[in-house]
Amino acid sequence: MYRKHGNQTNKMTNITILIIGAILSISILYLVRKGKMHGPYATWWLLVAVSAIVLSIFPNIVDWVAAQVGITYPPTLLLVLAISMILIRMLTMDMALTRKERKIRRLTQKMAILEAALDQTKDRH
Amino acid sequence: MKTLIVIPAFNEEQNLRNLLPILNAEVSHDVVVVNDASTDATAEVVKAHGLVCLTLPIQLGAWGATQTGIRYAVKKDYDQVITMDADGQHLPHEVAALIQQRQTTDANVIIGTFPSRLSRLKKLAWKYFKLLTHIKIEDLTSGFRLYDKSAIQVLSSRQASMLDYQDVGVLLILLGAGLKINEVPVKMLDRNDGKSRVFSSWMVVLKYMIQTTTLCIANMGTRPTK
Repeated sequence: MYRKHGNQTNKMTNITILIIGAILSISILYLVRKGKMHGPYATWWLLVAVSAIVLSIFPNIVDWVAAQVGITYPPTLLLVLAISMILIRMLTMDMALTRKERKIRRLTQKMAILEAALDQTKDRH
Repeated sequence: MKTLIVIPAFNEEQNLRNLLPILNAEVSHDVVVVNDASTDATAEVVKAHGLVCLTLPIQLGAWGATQTGIRYAVKKDYDQVITMDADGQHLPHEVAALIQQRQTTDANVIIGTFPSRLSRLKKLAWKYFKLLTHIKIEDLTSGFRLYDKSAIQVLSSRQASMLDYQDVGVLLILLGAGLKINEVPVKMLDRNDGKSRVFSSWMVVLKYMIQTTTLCIANMGTRPTK
């Protein structure tokens, strides 16, 4: 139904999304090249960029999937999916942070113990 | 039976000056002070008394510091660890009471309690946490504790590294591992500095209450209660 408002606007939207996707992919590749983003993070963001590009070229995918799952207003599907992905990503980020925190704490403890041992051997010599 | 006394300390220069001579005179066990990234001369005071000082390069808080001492005990193959506060509220001659209680019971952990020190607010908080966890222990936050070898093993684990406070979380892990906890009443002094790490300001109390509540709820049904 919303498509009747004019194909011109829709095309512009698609081109904008295509450009955003392209810029995102180039940025990610640049960050990986410079060593500022690694492994799993780069994969995730490239996936996001690629889906943006694919959706901008074939916007009907959203309409089709929405129709299959019985959503009458397709953009809802897009928004719900996008927000869910963001939430999942944030959750995994906090999990990663917890792992990092644990490693830092244990390293700090080990360092204190080793330093004391080092001082003791130094005193003995 | 090799016993190690672990004292976590953050900016406790003055208190340690008072405590360490008494400790050296009254107790024959090894002592290690964990210096939690202090900005004063805590490390120097400890070394001047001829004791081992583990200096953390990054501040980890009371439990992170205590766990450092426990990991040190594992590495040096100690049989039991006694933790006490640096601020002088735990009395060196009461260490014997903890050790004696350990010998007469089959408990893995002995907590030195001094119930009358608790303010009304604290008692209310403990009641609430006891309700949540079904832990049947009088004084949940007492830092005056004895851990035996199996308790040391459990508390030096990676899982225990993620705790933020020394009290309920530690007890839950110990109970979850099937260890027995026992209490012994001891005498304690009022804090020389008058400050409690947990009960210092409303924001800190709120944060502590919320985090500990989350921990309690997340751990529901995972362990025998006593």
